[in-house]
Amino acid sequence: MSAATIPTAPRAAGRWVLGVAALAALLAWPLLVEDEFIQRIGALVMLSALSASAWNLVGGYAGQISIGHVLFFGCGAYASLLGFTWFEWAPILGAPFGIATSLLLALIVGSPTLRLKGHYFSMATIALAELARIVVVNTPALGGAVGVSGPAMPRSVLDLSFISPLPYYYIFGSVLAVLLLFTWWMSRGRMGFYLRAIRGQERAARSLGVPAQRYKLFALLVSAAFTSLTGSLYAAMLGFVDPDSGLGILLSVKMVIAAALGGAGTLFGPLVGSAILVPLEEMTNAAFGGGGTGITYVVYGAIIVLISRFAPGGLAEIWTWLRARGTRRGG
Amino acid sequence: MADDAPLLEARDIVVAFGSFRAVDGASLAIRKGEIIGLIGPNGAGKSTFFNCLAGERQPASGSIMLRGRDVTRASPEDHALLGLARSWQVPAVFDDMSVHENVMVGAFLRHPHAAEAAAAADQVIDFTGLRPVARARSGSLGTPARKRLEIARALATEPEILLLDEALAGLTPTEVRAAIDLVRQIHARGITLVIVEHVMEVILSLAHRAVVFNQGKVIAQGAPRDVVQDPGVIEAYLGRSLSRKPPA
Repeated sequence: MSAATIPTAPRAAGRWVLGVAALAALLAWPLLVEDEFIQRIGALVMLSALSASAWNLVGGYAGQISIGHVLFFGCGAYASLLGFTWFEWAPILGAPFGIATSLLLALIVGSPTLRLKGHYFSMATIALAELARIVVVNTPALGGAVGVSGPAMPRSVLDLSFISPLPYYYIFGSVLAVLLLFTWWMSRGRMGFYLRAIRGQERAARSLGVPAQRYKLFALLVSAAFTSLTGSLYAAMLGFVDPDSGLGILLSVKMVIAAALGGAGTLFGPLVGSAILVPLEEMTNAAFGGGGTGITYVVYGAIIVLISRFAPGGLAEIWTWLRARGTRRGG
Repeated sequence: MADDAPLLEARDIVVAFGSFRAVDGASLAIRKGEIIGLIGPNGAGKSTFFNCLAGERQPASGSIMLRGRDVTRASPEDHALLGLARSWQVPAVFDDMSVHENVMVGAFLRHPHAAEAAAAADQVIDFTGLRPVARARSGSLGTPARKRLEIARALATEPEILLLDEALAGLTPTEVRAAIDLVRQIHARGITLVIVEHVMEVILSLAHRAVVFNQGKVIAQGAPRDVVQDPGVIEAYLGRSLSRKPPA
C-alpha cells in the first residue's frame, strides 16, 4: 500500500486541517453570537444530535429501525426529575438510574424481537414506548398527565440549572463528542464491519461467522444508554417533563428523521440533520406561535417523502455523489 | 478424531414442507480433500440438503457431524467458527461496502484486529484475482465479480470445507473456465469442496465424486463419468430421451 500513501497524504492532511477548523468553529461561534435565542437553538441542535447519534448506532449502523427510542429518552428524563421530586437529588444524579432502566427495557424489547427478521423490532419498539406513555399518564406517582418538575431555583452547580444557554451547549457538545468518538472507533473495527454486514445481508453475515443477534443487541444497549443520558440532560435543562415531551412518539420520529436526513449510518449525519431540522422547527414555532406546531408535522412529512424518494442515504449520499463527480472532472 | 473419519457427515436427513418431504432420508459422508458434486433435477432437494449442511436450515430428523461434532442444531455462525464456509446461489454481497471491506467481514472471524483483518483480506483478494476492483463498491459489480467476491469472502473465514451453491451458474464459458481454475487452486490449498451445480461440464471436470439427488434421496454416487451413464441417473436427471446418446 506504500504507492497509495503518496497521493492521499496531502488529502489526509487537508482533512485534518478541515476537521480542526470545524471543531474550532463549533466551539467558538456561540461566544461570537450574542443573541440568546440563537445560542439556545445551538444547545437544542446538540441535544437533538446527541439523541439522533445514539439512535444511529442501532438504526443507522446496524439497520434495525427503532421508532420507539423515546422510551429510553423518557427513562432518562423521568429518572432525573423523579430523583429530585422524591429525594431532592440534583437531576443529573438520576441519570444512572435512567440508564439502568433503559438497559433493562432494551433487553426486554430487543432479546425476542432482534431474533426475528422484518419489522417486528420496529413494531415492538413503538408498542413498548406507547405503553410506557400510557402507564405514566395513569400513574400519579410518576406525575400522571401533568408531568414532573425539577428544582425551581438552582441550589448548586450540580443542578445544571443555568440562565444562559451557553453552558448547555458545551455540556451537550462534550457528551456528543464522547459518543461520536465511540462511534468512530467502533465503525473502524470489527463491530462496525459486523453491524454494516448485518444491515446489508444478515443471512450472509451469519454464514461468515457474525453472531448477528448478539451484535444487534449490544448496539441497542449502547444506543439506549446514550439516549437515556440525553433525556436526563434534557430534563436538567428544561426542568420539566410530561408524557408528551418525554415519551411522545413525535420525539422518536424526530430522532429517525434527523439521522436519515443527514445520513443514517454515517458519523456526522445525525449532527448535520439536526443542524437543519432544529432551527427550522424553532423558526416555524417562533413565526407561527402555538399554531405552528402543526406546520412542523407537515415539514417532517415532506422531508420523509423527499429523502425516501430522492436520496435514501440522506445528505451524506448527495455529498458523496457530488465529490465523486468533482473527482471525475478534476482527474 | 480418527484420520479416516469423515470431515462432514449427514445421516438420514429429513426436511418436510407440510406433507412434502423435500429431503427424505438423505445421507452423505465427505472426507477431507474431496471435491463433491451435488447434482439432480430441479426440486430434487439438493439445495435444501445443501442448506442443512451449511447450518442454514435445521432438518426435521437426522444428524450432521462436522469435524467430529454434532452440528445438527448449531447456528450458521457456529458452523463458520468450526471451519465451514459457503457461497449463496443468489449472490448476497454487502452492496454498500467495498470489495475489500466485504472480504474483511469474513477475515474478522480469525483476525479480530482491523489491521490484521485488512492484511488477510488483501491476501485473499490477490488469490481470487479481485485486486483490480478491490476499492470498488460491491453493489456496482457485475455477476461474475459478485460470484467471485462471494467465494473470496467465504475463503477469508479460513475454512476447512467450502460449500458452493451454483457459484458458476450464469457465467459465460470463458468465465466458467476461469472459475474452474479458481476452484482447483482453492482445492490445492487443502480445502474440501462441496459443489451444487447444473453445469455438467463443471461436475465432470472438477468433482472426484458425484452425488445424485432425486425426490429427496441420494439415488447414486461415484465417479462423475460413471454416474452420468448410470441408467437410473439418466432417467431421473437427464431425461429418458437422452438415454440412447450419453453425454460427452
